[in-house]
Amino acid sequence: MATASSQQFNWVKFRKSVFSLTTGRGIASIIIFTILWEICSRLGVPIIGNVPPPSAVLAALGKQLVSPAYWMSWLDSFVRILTGFAIAQVLGIPLGLLLGVNRTARELIYPIFEIMRPIPPLAWVPIAVIFWPTTELSMMFVTFLGAFFTVVLNIVGGASSIDLRYIRAAHSLGSSRSDIFWRVMLPATLPSIVVGMTVGMGITWAVVVAAEMIASRSGLGFLTWRAYVAGEYPLIIIGMMSIGIAGYVSSALIRMIGSRLTPWLRTF
Amino acid sequence: MNTAEKIATNERGRISIRNVTKVYDPDGAKVLAVDNCSMEIEAGEFCVVVGPSGCGKTTLLNAIAGFHSITSGEIHLDGELLCSGQKRTQPGSDRIVVFQNGALFPWYTVLENVTFGPVVQGGVNEKDAKDKARAMLGQMGLEGIENNYPSEISSGMRRRVEIARAMMNDPSVLLLDEPFRAMDALTKTVVHQFLLDVYDKSKKTVFFITHDLEEAIFLGSKVYIMTTRPAQIKTILNVDIPRPRDFRALSSATYIRLKKECIEAVHEEALKAFKAGEREMA
Repeated sequence: MATASSQQFNWVKFRKSVFSLTTGRGIASIIIFTILWEICSRLGVPIIGNVPPPSAVLAALGKQLVSPAYWMSWLDSFVRILTGFAIAQVLGIPLGLLLGVNRTARELIYPIFEIMRPIPPLAWVPIAVIFWPTTELSMMFVTFLGAFFTVVLNIVGGASSIDLRYIRAAHSLGSSRSDIFWRVMLPATLPSIVVGMTVGMGITWAVVVAAEMIASRSGLGFLTWRAYVAGEYPLIIIGMMSIGIAGYVSSALIRMIGSRLTPWLRTF
Repeated sequence: MNTAEKIATNERGRISIRNVTKVYDPDGAKVLAVDNCSMEIEAGEFCVVVGPSGCGKTTLLNAIAGFHSITSGEIHLDGELLCSGQKRTQPGSDRIVVFQNGALFPWYTVLENVTFGPVVQGGVNEKDAKDKARAMLGQMGLEGIENNYPSEISSGMRRRVEIARAMMNDPSVLLLDEPFRAMDALTKTVVHQFLLDVYDKSKKTVFFITHDLEEAIFLGSKVYIMTTRPAQIKTILNVDIPRPRDFRALSSATYIRLKKECIEAVHEEALKAFKAGEREMA
């Protein structure tokens, strides 16, 4: 699909981007931030003084990194995220396409979405706990909701705003209805699907962490909350950072998949 | 396809537009876009339609293409009824449109775009389609970009790719709706030359809409000047500049004489359109 040169890894470009002024400034910014935090924390500057210093966090981190319980928290959160997210895609993408393409379906089903959309996924936690037999399922359900609405709404937006020219051109070139769907509507909607997935992934992490704090006995959200309850303040920071990294990795993965799916949007 | 195959290539593509009227009726406000318009376009004619903006040229093209219905009258293609007030035609690969803003599929590479027609119509194997597409691209001076996406090539190239995509289907008629609008003058001259070459080689009927008079005379065999809305044919100019034509034709005496005639005819209509526009604004 892509040209030969773009498939080979460009070392010069890579080296230039790693050893650039921008990267240097980024690293400097992080180092200065950490030092300031350490100083403020030790001097007992109001508010910031309550936060454990980076040195204490680092000390506590060593213990966590070798603890199976810590890694189990990662695993538990990831399983919830991936299950909820995957089901949201499996149900949301076809539904979004149907609503985008079929006016009758859209007019019948979309109003329900309009009503449900403003309800924050977390507001579903109590009813989800009642509704589902296990906490685990209710947690996945709430995660699913977080991604589902975003995905469907994005796809409907994308599919209903396809330029008429493309459909006319495809008709003119002799396409059948299924050709129009597979060769025009679906690829034209793919960028919106990718955007929906990326945004949905972000929401999913926000939802799962809060849900774990409210209703779970495991996961990174629970780890952070338990650290607070137990008064292990450095562990709170570790929990927060872990969630940040986990969220970043998931988004990066989605972006990577997204750029594979839409090679024509890549800028060279 | 069968009927089309029976007729020899150079006899295909005769369009007969008979007393076509189109009334747009959004919210009951009847707008007469085309009024009792008749045209006889011969097979293999390069027909250029010129007229003020919004005069109903595109309405006519869309009716032939099958994108719009007409209110009354008839359009025939090679003696067969294409559409009338009662019958609406479906778009088909015998009448391919090249759109004003271009309609290459951004998600397909140049080669995938050009082979789109044969692939969806079926009946050819992929390799043959690709070979034919490469030959077509070569003829249009487009080597080396077949694996690029449309966003990676220039607007002049995109328009040529689109013409190649249309020609791949061996249409009876090529419908071009202001295809070179918003293109800079230099790019335009290059693309014009390629279109003329394709026309000279294939002798397809071309139905070309523009409001660029120079383009109209340089490309066309006949220039149909339309009145301001509701559209009717005001004048038909026979462009007797010999083919093959190149940029030198632009300085020939015939060209200059025709341009003068054309400007006079169009100016009157443009003035009417402008005044009508001012009335609407008031």
